[in-house]
Amino acid sequence: MSGQNLQNGLTFRLKAPATERLDLSGVSPAKLANLSSYDIASMKVGMGRHALTLGDAFDISGSNGDTITIEGSGASLDFAGAGLCSGTLRIIGNVGTYAGRKMTGGKLEIRGHAGSYLASGMTGGLIHVSGNASDNLGGILSGDRFGMAGGTVVVEGNIGARAGDKMRRGTIVVRGQTGEGAGTRMIGGTIWAEGGFGPAPGYMMRRGTLIGSKVERLLPTFVDCGRHDLVIVRVLGRYLKATLGDLAPKPMPLFVQKIAGDMATIGKGEILLPAG
Amino acid sequence: MSETLKGKTVNGVFVDDTFAEAFGMSGTGIIITADSMKWAKIAAVTATGFGTSVIGCGAECGIDRELTLDETPDGRPGVRVLMFGFSPDALIGQVKNRIGQCVLTSPGSACYAGLDAPMKIGLGKAPRFFGDGFQTAKKLGDSRYWRVPVMDGEFVIEETTGCTTDAVGGGNMLIVGTDRAGLLEATEAAVEAISKIDDVITPFPGGIVRSGSKVGTKYKGMFASTNDAFCPTLRGATKSELAAGSLSVLEIVIDGLTSKNVADAMRVGLKAVTDIGAKKGVTRITAGNYGGKLGQHHYHLKDLI
Repeated sequence: MSGQNLQNGLTFRLKAPATERLDLSGVSPAKLANLSSYDIASMKVGMGRHALTLGDAFDISGSNGDTITIEGSGASLDFAGAGLCSGTLRIIGNVGTYAGRKMTGGKLEIRGHAGSYLASGMTGGLIHVSGNASDNLGGILSGDRFGMAGGTVVVEGNIGARAGDKMRRGTIVVRGQTGEGAGTRMIGGTIWAEGGFGPAPGYMMRRGTLIGSKVERLLPTFVDCGRHDLVIVRVLGRYLKATLGDLAPKPMPLFVQKIAGDMATIGKGEILLPAG
Repeated sequence: MSETLKGKTVNGVFVDDTFAEAFGMSGTGIIITADSMKWAKIAAVTATGFGTSVIGCGAECGIDRELTLDETPDGRPGVRVLMFGFSPDALIGQVKNRIGQCVLTSPGSACYAGLDAPMKIGLGKAPRFFGDGFQTAKKLGDSRYWRVPVMDGEFVIEETTGCTTDAVGGGNMLIVGTDRAGLLEATEAAVEAISKIDDVITPFPGGIVRSGSKVGTKYKGMFASTNDAFCPTLRGATKSELAAGSLSVLEIVIDGLTSKNVADAMRVGLKAVTDIGAKKGVTRITAGNYGGKLGQHHYHLKDLI
């Protein structure tokens, strides 16, 4: 897939494994739209003493457009798609931490794995990760009021611990399984884990929905509310199918088991599992 | 009856050269779903009941159409209802009361926005408080859905729906006949044809009005009174519009989200009646107006046949 859409946008090809961490928050179709080739190549992205520029780290080809493609795999590529508001940022390879941070729109496509704090503070747009994502997906960072507060994240693989920590709105779809403590301190939004939840999901969650195939271990402060045919699950499923197409999770069975919690807080959150 | 009637005869039915005079209104759409079409319709019929005339009912309401499973947000059977009022503010109270009393209470029901428009009015904003603090919200895209715990599960209702001020109320046609049963049959056919036009309703019972009104009355405190010129039993006693032999007059009133919707509905209604023609005792089609001075929208029958 490399080199796709070359005519319609810029392509950055990593010359060699980066010698320092790179901050890619300035690389988005909107931010580069009015910059010359020289300005783009001169943009500082290095976070170390040498302060690498885009031109130092990447071979740059193509022209400005709605899509930017970054080819090259590296956990040192941080803040990929941070602040993205429109267009598409496609990364062929892995990314480091904070990808999609405070993203408000557009699409961030990661054809690889993502590091921790993917989608932290995100309020809009779509992030699609074809591999795994590490801890604190959609989580909160020091100084933030909330974690993820809108938009949609789809992870084809598994995700790490404490996904959706203080999440406010938005939807996280995980094809695989979540790590421990998904939905910790959650205030709203939805995490749909097709492969199920790891131990202790929803620790201190106030509101929000965790939907999945199973739970490894429930907290004792979650209570069984019985087997129900919930209209909102249908609405959610159809909304995701309409907006995500093939990326949408498979529909839940008609009846789900509703487990409410965390009763240690206001208990308006819920874990929905297939009802037996 | 006036001796100088102008018009055109179509299949034995005389169509007056006159126009229906209609008014600008505010309109909204609401989708109501349930576990079955039967219960979606029960909720919708109840919510749109007592919604014939904005003057006495506060809003003019009706079922626009049945929806396919693909068209409803929850994939269940559903219908779309339309409500029309004098203003968006007037609609807010009507929507709140009708949904709160008639849809929230109906088994298995859910309620969603049925009109996509820049202006929004509350749909679930008030009914959600029935949840007494147990209600929760789910925001998906630009829509917020409230989940109100009720005794048969949850009542799901979208927070807002669209509202347009481009709506039109009062498109109409009066159908005159010499046979009451035949006239009713022809008028029913017109209502059936109009029901296939999207974005319009015929808010009166079964879509038909038998008590057309004129503006004004001899009594204080009333705004409208019987349209004596079209009452067959007063033919000799008042300045009648009816020819000898006219036994009955039925009216169809049409509200639509746009002026074009109303014109389209009148067109198919007129066609349905003239297709049946004189064989069912239909003699004439005319329309109600106020001389063109009150309503902003004029629908000339000659342009629609």
